[in-house]
Amino acid sequence: MTDAPVFAVVGHPNKGKSSVVATLSQNDAIAIALEPGTTRHSQAYPLRIDNEVRYTLVDTPGFQRPRQVLEWLQAHSLSASDRAETVAAFVHQHRDDPRFQDECELLGPLIEGAGIIYVVDGSVPYSAENESEMTILRWTGQPSLALINSIGPDDYSEAWHNALGQFFQVVRKFNAVSAPFNQHLSLLKAFGQLQPAWEAVLDQAVLQLSGQRAQRKEQAARLVATALEDLMAWQEQRTLTASQLAGHSRDSLAEQLRQRWYRHQRQREQALRLAIEQLYQHHRIQRQEAELTWHSEHDLFSDNSRQTWGVSKAYLATAGFGAGAIGGAGLDAITLGASLGTGALIGGLLGAAGSYFYGDRLKLPVLHLGVLRNGLQTARFGPVQDIQFGYVVLGRAVDHWWHVSHRNHAGQDLLDLEPTDRHWLEELASAYRHDIQHALARCRRQRALSSDQRHRLAVAVEAALDTYSQWRQSRG
Amino acid sequence: MSEHPLTLLLEFDDQVRRDQHQAPAFLHRRDRKFALDARDGATGPRQWLAHLQHLSGRPPGQTDKRLARWRRISFSFAAAGALLGMLTMLGLLFYDGSGRINITVILAFILLQLLLALATTVQAFVGWRPWGWLVDRYTRRSGEIVSVLTRLHPQLLARAAHTGGLLFGLSGLATLLLLVVMQDLAFGWSTTLSTGADSYHHWMQILACPWQGLWPAAVPNAELVESTRFFRAGSPQPIAAARWGDWWPFVALTWCCYVLLPRLLLVTLAQIHLRWRTRRLLLRHPGLTALRYRMETPMLDTGSIEEATHQSPQLATPADLQPYPDSPAVIRWAGAGDPLLPEDFTATAQRQLLSAGGAASLSDDRRAIQQARGVLAHHPEPAVIVLTRAWEPPTAELEDFLTLARDQWPEATLISLLPLATDPRHRPGETQLAQWLRFAERQADPRLQVSVYELTEAVNRAAEGQL
Repeated sequence: MTDAPVFAVVGHPNKGKSSVVATLSQNDAIAIALEPGTTRHSQAYPLRIDNEVRYTLVDTPGFQRPRQVLEWLQAHSLSASDRAETVAAFVHQHRDDPRFQDECELLGPLIEGAGIIYVVDGSVPYSAENESEMTILRWTGQPSLALINSIGPDDYSEAWHNALGQFFQVVRKFNAVSAPFNQHLSLLKAFGQLQPAWEAVLDQAVLQLSGQRAQRKEQAARLVATALEDLMAWQEQRTLTASQLAGHSRDSLAEQLRQRWYRHQRQREQALRLAIEQLYQHHRIQRQEAELTWHSEHDLFSDNSRQTWGVSKAYLATAGFGAGAIGGAGLDAITLGASLGTGALIGGLLGAAGSYFYGDRLKLPVLHLGVLRNGLQTARFGPVQDIQFGYVVLGRAVDHWWHVSHRNHAGQDLLDLEPTDRHWLEELASAYRHDIQHALARCRRQRALSSDQRHRLAVAVEAALDTYSQWRQSRG
Repeated sequence: MSEHPLTLLLEFDDQVRRDQHQAPAFLHRRDRKFALDARDGATGPRQWLAHLQHLSGRPPGQTDKRLARWRRISFSFAAAGALLGMLTMLGLLFYDGSGRINITVILAFILLQLLLALATTVQAFVGWRPWGWLVDRYTRRSGEIVSVLTRLHPQLLARAAHTGGLLFGLSGLATLLLLVVMQDLAFGWSTTLSTGADSYHHWMQILACPWQGLWPAAVPNAELVESTRFFRAGSPQPIAAARWGDWWPFVALTWCCYVLLPRLLLVTLAQIHLRWRTRRLLLRHPGLTALRYRMETPMLDTGSIEEATHQSPQLATPADLQPYPDSPAVIRWAGAGDPLLPEDFTATAQRQLLSAGGAASLSDDRRAIQQARGVLAHHPEPAVIVLTRAWEPPTAELEDFLTLARDQWPEATLISLLPLATDPRHRPGETQLAQWLRFAERQADPRLQVSVYELTEAVNRAAEGQL
């Protein structure tokens, strides 16, 4: 597509142009808060659908000498009709002049037909100084939209709105760091409304971005389900000769394997974190994560984690009933229904009782020594016997997903995963709870899940993601 | 890759399992690319697998170990069936000349075979795996991961059982014919039930219905039935002895019709059922839904071709803030100090207040420089304070202004940049001040400094009271 619209994000230096581009292009590698005046070149961020560019955002340097540019333009223009040509002439005239490099870089896309996205900081007072810039932009004759991006805590957006309204077709407020995803889409739609020819393209892009968002959630659920399966079923093994075995006490061997088991579980959880972050194109959190405070304080195995993310006995009993009933239903199937569902009932009751009485007891994995064969003996540690462990992993994973999926790419702050005060999983529909409980119980017994069971677990986890989002939303 | 749907299903299931640990973005890219490149919309799982296997250089047509195992099971059933068929027929037709081979026993056995064949088929359709634990144990011991094949066990086992049953029937028939040729078999019929020859003949007629028109000689007539009845006590009639062998065509055809034919039909049905269920499992495979979604959904790429800046800017600066001088000229750059100008910078008889930058024109800037020059020329310690808005980053226009001013003003003039916060009574934030310090540092001008204005707490309160 050759007529894909281009939007040049322009403005005064350090007013959040790069933040807007970073958020809209989902690229957290765009350096933000660079020294003003040090960005000397425009950078294009195209949105490609199946490798076909649909629109391009261009991050530009800020205006450095707007009054000089305006003076030159006014000196070379005779009437309003030649203004756009005069701006183009300015760029051609000063292409090699280092003094106007920034202006040429930012005006270059505009004289080639790019739409204008003018960014201002709504947290600082309006300044008439910006009027030279706005006048130059108006001279280009390109469709324009102004964005009030509030960087600081103060709010002067009203004054900005009034001033910008005199120069731009559309004025929108948009916080690049905190705006929710639907506002990103709404903003892109607004870009499309600047010119009729762009509307369909932007609408299509918005549709695809919405689809991508939904797809990512589903993919995240699959990642979490796979990690859950791995973590629940993990067993640490070590094969020892008879002499090696004699050199170890049972306790020290158990301790050694326990440490390895714990290390593996932590690494697996970290791998899940990274996979989720990469899925949402957050590549820089990885570096920042080492500095996270929650990691050491709220470790995967800490009691705090258990208190926060574990589920209640009543929850386990209900979920256990469902899981038991599924097993008991097998008996009904064997008797071709002659048992009139008694199997399901008995299975359900047994499942509920088991989960209720044993659910809150911390059952750590224990050491198992295999049979001595050919002078070798295998020591095994794990898998975890505590079903709550699965819920701790799930709770933490869902919480992490929520933070990552709601994080804008302009965000630079540390990812702070603070524990919640109440368990949200109880709001999950019972059918999904049963599927999760059933899968956890199966993994704990090291019985692999079939494709169908794995799919059901992923669907249940996706429902858990939705439930958690709604729960966070209801909390405000 | 084999054309068999079962192989296709297994390979597809394996591929989905392998994909489980791949990054979702990679999977999407791979499958979407395949869908876009596919000619004539051939994007079915068969083409998809062939494409992946071609790319990874995997040799096609390798036999799946799990299917080979089931093939062995089918072969074992067939061999056992053939052997048992022969032994069973030898047992049924055992004749030492002292008695007769009871047709009723043979018919009962054929009925049992028929019932077993039907039970096998019903079990396959219901999906019941009463022997599932045995297979599970075997597959677990052999390290086989749980695959979609588990769900086809009832159908696979039914096919194997019917194959065994078919071989059983064939081997039984061959044994029967062989014995007919090699031995003088004496058939008769006997029953404890008080059934008369007429009634027995009637039943035989019903059984022989299927071949009545094809081979009338294989349908026992009333005379044969009457003459070949035997009892535990009593000597056989001499006429009957000659006709004892006339039963064999009936026995052979009953065997063919009620043992062989049902098995042949059911083994075909088992095969069709297996294929149908395999296709259904593939169509309903969760991996196929995900694959289709990946193929149909466009791939979105929001990144930049060029490498974006990954390094954070260096924000540290060795420059320090300096106290601002007692200056005869104060310049408000770009409207700094508007509307609240600290008293220290207001116009007095000793201090001239000028404006430049921002909304002012470039000629206004030049005029302000000239006016300041006039003031500084008579001052023993020339110094100028340039008030700026701390939150607005310094631009090249200010740089140009300072360069021009430096040319115009006395050489020793100290220029102090003084960034004011949005509320000028307070000190600007450190980040804001840092950008001004770095700006001053970049100018490499020893007579250019950055200062800060801040009201002390007591004065601040007084000022607030005045306001």
